Amino acid sequence: MASAPIAPYSSSPLGNSSSQHTSRESLKMEPLAGFVSLPGEERIIDKDIIYMCPFNGALKGKVFITNYRLYFKSTDTETPVTLNVPLGVISRIEKMGGATSRGENSYGLDITCKDMRNLRFALKQEGHSRRDIFDILFKYAFPLSHGMQLFAFLSQEKYEENGWNVYEPMEEFRRQGLPNNEWRVTFINKSYELCDTYPTILVVPYKAPDEDLRRVGTFRSRCRIPVLSWFHKQNHAVITRCSQPLVGMSGKRNKDDERYLDLIREANGTTKLTIYDARPNVNAVANKATGGGYEGEDAYQNAELVFLDIHNIHVMRESLKKLKDIVYPNVEESHWLSSLESTHWLEHIKLVLSGAIQVADKVSSGYSVMVHCSDGWDRTAQLTSLSMLMLDSYYRTLRGFQVLLEKEWISFGHKFASRIGHGDKNHADQDRSPIFLQFIDCVWQMTKQFPTAFEFNERLLVVILDHLYSCRFGTFLYNCESARDSNDVRTKTVSLWSLINSDTSSYTNPFYTPESSRVLYPVASMRHLELWVNYYIRWNPRIQHQQQSPVEQRYKELLALRDQYLKKLEELQLTDSAPSSTHLTNSSTPNAATPNQHITHLQTPF
Amino acid sequence: MFSGKQTKPTFKSYLPPLQTDVKRSPQLPIKKLEAKLLPGEIVVNEANFVKKCIGGETCQDDLWGKLVCTNFKVSFIAHNSLPQQRFQCAHRLLGEHDVPLACVEQAVTVNDAKGKQKVLGSNQKLKFNPTELILYCKDFRIIRFRFDEAGPESAKKVCLAIAHYSHPADPQLLFGFEYVGKRYHGSTGERVNGVDPGGGLQTPLFDCSSDWDREIKRTGASEWRVCTINQGYFISPSLPEFFVVPVSLADQDLKQYACYFNSQRIPLWCWNHPSGSALVRMSNNSDPQQQRKVEQRISSAITKSHPLRSDVFKSDLDKNLPNIQDIQAALLKLRQICVIEPFEESEEKWLSSLESSRWIEYVRTFLRHAVEVVYMLDSRHVSVILLEKEDRDLSCVISCLVQLMCDPHCRSLHGFQGLIQKEWVMAGHRFLDRCNHLKKNDREESPVFLLFLDCVWQLWNQYPAAFEFTEVYLTVLGDSMWLPIFSTFLFNCPRQRAEHSRDFAISKSIHLGQDQALRFPPVWDWSQQFSLKDQTLFNNPLYVGKIATCVQNGTVKTFTHRRSKKNYSSTLRGLPSALRNGSFSHHDTLTRRNSLVLRLRPDLSQTREQPESPSERFVRDWFSRPADLQGLLLPQLLPSHLSLWKLYFLRWVPEIQIPQGGPVTAFHKLSVLTDEIEMLQNQLRQYKGAGGTPNNTHVEHSKMYFKATSTPHQSHGPPEYLSSSFPFSPVGNLCRPGILGTPLRKFLNGAKIWLSTETLANETI
Repeated sequence: MASAPIAPYSSSPLGNSSSQHTSRESLKMEPLAGFVSLPGEERIIDKDIIYMCPFNGALKGKVFITNYRLYFKSTDTETPVTLNVPLGVISRIEKMGGATSRGENSYGLDITCKDMRNLRFALKQEGHSRRDIFDILFKYAFPLSHGMQLFAFLSQEKYEENGWNVYEPMEEFRRQGLPNNEWRVTFINKSYELCDTYPTILVVPYKAPDEDLRRVGTFRSRCRIPVLSWFHKQNHAVITRCSQPLVGMSGKRNKDDERYLDLIREANGTTKLTIYDARPNVNAVANKATGGGYEGEDAYQNAELVFLDIHNIHVMRESLKKLKDIVYPNVEESHWLSSLESTHWLEHIKLVLSGAIQVADKVSSGYSVMVHCSDGWDRTAQLTSLSMLMLDSYYRTLRGFQVLLEKEWISFGHKFASRIGHGDKNHADQDRSPIFLQFIDCVWQMTKQFPTAFEFNERLLVVILDHLYSCRFGTFLYNCESARDSNDVRTKTVSLWSLINSDTSSYTNPFYTPESSRVLYPVASMRHLELWVNYYIRWNPRIQHQQQSPVEQRYKELLALRDQYLKKLEELQLTDSAPSSTHLTNSSTPNAATPNQHITHLQTPF
Repeated sequence: MFSGKQTKPTFKSYLPPLQTDVKRSPQLPIKKLEAKLLPGEIVVNEANFVKKCIGGETCQDDLWGKLVCTNFKVSFIAHNSLPQQRFQCAHRLLGEHDVPLACVEQAVTVNDAKGKQKVLGSNQKLKFNPTELILYCKDFRIIRFRFDEAGPESAKKVCLAIAHYSHPADPQLLFGFEYVGKRYHGSTGERVNGVDPGGGLQTPLFDCSSDWDREIKRTGASEWRVCTINQGYFISPSLPEFFVVPVSLADQDLKQYACYFNSQRIPLWCWNHPSGSALVRMSNNSDPQQQRKVEQRISSAITKSHPLRSDVFKSDLDKNLPNIQDIQAALLKLRQICVIEPFEESEEKWLSSLESSRWIEYVRTFLRHAVEVVYMLDSRHVSVILLEKEDRDLSCVISCLVQLMCDPHCRSLHGFQGLIQKEWVMAGHRFLDRCNHLKKNDREESPVFLLFLDCVWQLWNQYPAAFEFTEVYLTVLGDSMWLPIFSTFLFNCPRQRAEHSRDFAISKSIHLGQDQALRFPPVWDWSQQFSLKDQTLFNNPLYVGKIATCVQNGTVKTFTHRRSKKNYSSTLRGLPSALRNGSFSHHDTLTRRNSLVLRLRPDLSQTREQPESPSERFVRDWFSRPADLQGLLLPQLLPSHLSLWKLYFLRWVPEIQIPQGGPVTAFHKLSVLTDEIEMLQNQLRQYKGAGGTPNNTHVEHSKMYFKATSTPHQSHGPPEYLSSSFPFSPVGNLCRPGILGTPLRKFLNGAKIWLSTETLANETI
């Protein structure tokens, strides 16, 4: 899948499993060493170009543009530099300089990417070469703005695994122990008529009939009514999610909504329902002006409301922008820590994590919670999925994590299309925001604090983020399930999980130790939170990129060594006859078990 | 001794057994509490019914017990044990609640009823009865005792005793003298403390010429010789008796040159690069007139000792590095933000506060400077002289860092310890003054050695598999500075050690037998502090020097020192194929490097503001290849890649402890796997040796702290006692004193709840 937006220096986070599927015949133009096209990928244009590398200076080379990627290879054999950038990563293309500017490389292209880097190219003035390349890039990088299809619909990739089978809502609810006599499954939304941004299968309190759900819908922003996300098998407390109540300036109340929330509380017989409003208090108040608001104390007597102070999508977008300024192309050296602090990126991470910790703690102490923000698809998704990751070890497995993303993010309508702007030229769209990236960063922080608790490794997280933008897979396309259905995403595109699950060993954390019942509480302190340098600073060639973390690498080596010894020992035992084995079994110390015993014990499923 | 797994007989067998008979008391039946004393240790003062604050909002977990001040430590003997059974690395010299007096930075007494507090010094008076004693420790702990139920007089006395005994007036009052002196008392010179200083240690102490000879051989420095003119310390008071000089300089010349150097310090050879370039340290000339002449003579001698007759590069450390006061100020600020400031309030500004402490910036400056020196030695092939006014502080750091980066031998445990002996202890780093054991001159106090350990930690953190030791080892080594027992950290130079040991022996009429002076154990005699089992915490299961290339052609080879030596000397000549790991040999890249320079020059101006310096290019070139852990190692110097050494600086902070988490959980798994491999190796060896060795060798020789179990293989989570602070515990070791740093009024308001009947009876408010 050589696909990924990998700089020459970066450890490609992606091993290439699809290279086998390459159909070289489809390439009409000259073959290029190191370039492996995907099935369905077509070359559009190639040109001599100069890459203005911020680290190495200007590099002459050739650029190839396909319907999937921009590929650059320097002709200079001494420092071979290659760029492999899926066009989906591009957020903005601009011309720089021109006839009026001086200098050799005055006809420039400036490409801003969604993955924390910028690319600059220079072209010769002759033959309108810049115009050609600009036009083609602009068209193929933003296909939706030109009435064309995203590459995911053109890809012909085939995998052993079908990632679309990873998440079956009913199966997942059954795993949680649902439905039961407190919670029921409803098909009220089977053709999205209750809520067009919700999934078709919803779990609601057993005592709430479908008519009530509709009435509650009228009082919740975009009809995103409170529904169950997660059920605690032991204490029966639940995590529910929804959007803000439509209280408005006049402070409206809705008896159905109030009773419905009480039904959620009653389900496990506790006295209080805790409502976590992800927003800062003032934002929640301000939302009243546009018809929204929060649950008032008088109306919801059996509920307590907690504001989690997480800022909105615009604040997060600006924060990431500032972060990019200090890490790309060069790391701000003189006042690194205070610059990092002034981006507030880690502070936002801290707030999201500590919000999720509060949710998890409340639920594990037996109280049901309800989480919402304004619309319930950004901060809400962050909080519910992170707290579920803390509470339920299943979600920390490679498979379970995929289910978590499919469920809390994709099926519940996190607006991936709007937040990422897939194939859309409008780079300044105010709807774009790195909410999902922020969530993955939080997950990474957790894996750092608990190196043995997750089955997947850092590489999986990087690959997920790379394909969040690449448009090679259908997984993160569109805003909600109804849109995905009407565009036949499941039948016409490949799932990212097909790629991942066909090569699970690359994404497996060797230190993983399953612990079924442990609730993970990360420490959300600035003292522990770190900048994820392997993601945010990965384009810098001054950073040595290991294929994996050195410790992980070493552990895998040791595992291999152990297996080698075991094999060797087994061989010796087979060839060796009775004498030596009797000698060994004579061992008196309990610790020094015989080789035989060890062979049976020490085989691990790696 | 608190982990409940007493094994072999240790010196503790000499201690009086803990009394368990129950005494009657008005409130609660209490055990008779006795301090455990070391040989030579005496109780100075004590107070009963003292409460040790364990932390947290409530004081329900606080411990009752007896506070004892000895001539070695502040000991708290708890009546009840800690709320939960917690793991702690058992220390042989200290109990769970003990603090060595040398570790006490400041003793503060408080009377909360009167709103008074006083920092206690030596021989002082205290005009109020303390209700509280707060010990600020040099290792970042803050320990708090309450005297609500203790007699006011005994509380006062014990506080004064602690203050007094933590300010010894004379080096010979440091506990090490009594402790080591005891060994010679009594009968036949049998080692009372089970110490065999120097003997049986694999670490060279560099106090004899043979150690230097071996080092010359090891590094192939054939044009250098051991010089003995300072025997008896007749030439220089701060140089060791043996050191290494160019062969072309005769003893006569050296004696002549000596007077031109600060404290007659003739330039010292540190190390030779495989290319033949030498690393030399030199103090500044006292006489600038003569300076040039003498320096020229020295330089030309160094040039003569270089196989290529290369030039000498002088690196002025005073100009380029922070001075010792800067370093001390940085540590004080770091301590302020790490353990003194209230946790929540300091969260928001944590990163900028960390930056303003400048500690990490200094760490980076030292590392960067060392990289510059490495560039000169490794790429330019010239010898380097480290110039520092006294040549006793910054040079120690830089010289060690250079060797750590270049020489894989220094990354082994014994190599590292030898390095510290060579560049710190023998070269005369003023440990006594820098640790401020006598608390006489605060301006001389500076954590230069801790800064060095932090630099090593950064390297370790970036290349954990390249070092034989762990970060626990580095932390414990740093803590050992505050145990005034070891020859390593007690003195300013070898001569001072010799003199004090002799004088002390004479004044106490100690019969020394064969020894010329008292022999203090070096810190490298780790059995002084830890059981063999606990010492395995120092062994890094990741270390590549050991197992990585052990299996060749299906035969198992054990790793020997020979191998690392071979690899080391081959850094420039291309690696053995087994280690090359598919990368280019260094030869190829050397030529590449040059061509790269020419090619890039013209275009650079367009995208780079500053042209790259040759050393930057050297670094960048190195980073473009996979790192060879047995070869040259350069640290990543981007500020984003240097971090705070959390285990050292934040281990006592309860708020950030990650239960069953932190890097140690991965370490645990590695350790278990490595142990499994060792076990398998032993079994294979038995097949090879046809049953020659007994089967139980594994149990004794295992180098790993966490053992593979022979119970059927199953997945366990990390043991419950593991946390990000492991093997340390914040419980009872950090009590932020609410009173200090908050306005007095606020403190007085809150004080009422602390008032006990006793204080009410004794004080008029």
